[in-house]
Amino acid sequence: MTPIQFEQLYERDWEELQELLAQMHGRRYGKKPLSVNGERVAALYRRTCEHLALARARFYPAYLVERLEQITSDAHQAIYQHSEIGLGRLMRLFTRDFPRAVRAHAPFVWASAALFTVTTLTLGLLVYFRPELILSVASASDVANFEQMYSKTAEQIGRPGGAGSDWAMFGYYIRNNVGIAFQCFASGLFAGLGSIFFIAFNGALAGAVAGYLTERGLAPTFFSFVVTHSAFELTAIVLSGAAGLRLGYSLLVPGRQTRLQSLVTAARESVVIVYGFSAMLLVAAAIEAFWSSAGWIPLPVKYSVAALCWIAVISYLLLQGRRAD
Amino acid sequence: MLELRPAGLCARSCAFLLDLLIRFMIFTALVTVAQLLGALAPAVLLIFLFLLEWLYPVAFELTRWGATPGKRALGLKVVMDNGLPITPAASLTRNLLRTADFLPLMYGFGLVCLLTRHDFKRLGDLAAATLVVYESREARRQPLAQIEPFAPVIPVALQDQAAVIALAARAPRLTAERLDELAALAAPVSGDRGRSGPEVTRRVLGIAQWFLGRR
Repeated sequence: MTPIQFEQLYERDWEELQELLAQMHGRRYGKKPLSVNGERVAALYRRTCEHLALARARFYPAYLVERLEQITSDAHQAIYQHSEIGLGRLMRLFTRDFPRAVRAHAPFVWASAALFTVTTLTLGLLVYFRPELILSVASASDVANFEQMYSKTAEQIGRPGGAGSDWAMFGYYIRNNVGIAFQCFASGLFAGLGSIFFIAFNGALAGAVAGYLTERGLAPTFFSFVVTHSAFELTAIVLSGAAGLRLGYSLLVPGRQTRLQSLVTAARESVVIVYGFSAMLLVAAAIEAFWSSAGWIPLPVKYSVAALCWIAVISYLLLQGRRAD
Repeated sequence: MLELRPAGLCARSCAFLLDLLIRFMIFTALVTVAQLLGALAPAVLLIFLFLLEWLYPVAFELTRWGATPGKRALGLKVVMDNGLPITPAASLTRNLLRTADFLPLMYGFGLVCLLTRHDFKRLGDLAAATLVVYESREARRQPLAQIEPFAPVIPVALQDQAAVIALAARAPRLTAERLDELAALAAPVSGDRGRSGPEVTRRVLGIAQWFLGRR
């Protein structure tokens, strides 16, 4: 069969397939994509793939092969279009997939939590007994700032004087905290070392500030400020570390897969945790900006709400989505 | 098998710089608009800065074009490495891992990784199993100019037939002299071995017509 005969014989199929694809995308008929007969598209797609294989095997002219490549690749994209975005998917993520992923990564979560707790306690105690040590993790002006932020005379707790409104702080917390958590996750790619560094550093900083302010007698203002949003924020940082550790571990201990395959699997599974901790940090930012800093809320109320938040977060991660579907 | 043509360093850097410029312009525009919002301005700006920093590529990669405006301008798009459209999870992964690619400075690790691989993947692409490829062009439908078909005088293998047809397809874009030179290489098919000139060229192009099926 000559190329021209081949083209004449099958051209109608290719044109029909292109037409159907155009309808699916709604390119030619205004904006609205039309629903098309899927069976017909699939049949035509398979046939066109055969034609492409034949055209290549028979060394048909380049313009013909290119045309078939174009049509098949368009059809391939249209047929395997993902439908992952949507409200249902989002619901499933938070009612089932996220807590399940956290539990599936339990060893990493515990390792990350342990690292964070140990550095926090160590630095906290060290700085409590030898306050000058705080200068090893923060500059003198930062320390002065901390002290002023949590002093009893601060008009708004937890903020340097002259900081913006609640809303401005909300924006700042989102940008800052989510950014840190993303970095903590991504740097796990280097055999987990980056995540270890970020968890340890954040733990050390938190511990040092807590130890220092306690030593200065500012514990009531400080702890009443951090206790509520830390239910979300500290958990999220620990989870970001856990996801990062998973990446690093997949490279160090790939098991029966190649290191690359192992990394791809790890990334696909741990990205669910990334969705989850990002959402938790948004909640944390809202609480930190609008609730934690409010000086007028009596302490007993703050502490009860904080206790509720901690219980809610932990039981959500432990219990949600355990029932079989 | 699908044709995927991975895009190299140059095209991707240009796309990145273009995106950087676009992001910068969006942000400048926002700063201007935010003045109108008064007290809310810093919050809106900070949140948008965060979105621009981290989610700008994700948002655009999940559109039908699978590419940021910079990549689209250079005819690139991001696909899964089996040629499928990129998934949200993969897009997020590859863009968060930019942080790792960026280290130690100026995309150092990403650069080394990209340059040492035949498929030009940076670290984020490795983990997300994605690939930056050239968007397939609109197929050139270039039926050859009609010339009197001419039968070859010797049997010709399929590959060689394809080469003669490809020459005929390129003919309109070549100068007459160059076309004669190239046609002289194929002259044995028309029994003109060792000769060249417009007459030989015409016969070789005629043979291309014959191979295509015109008699």
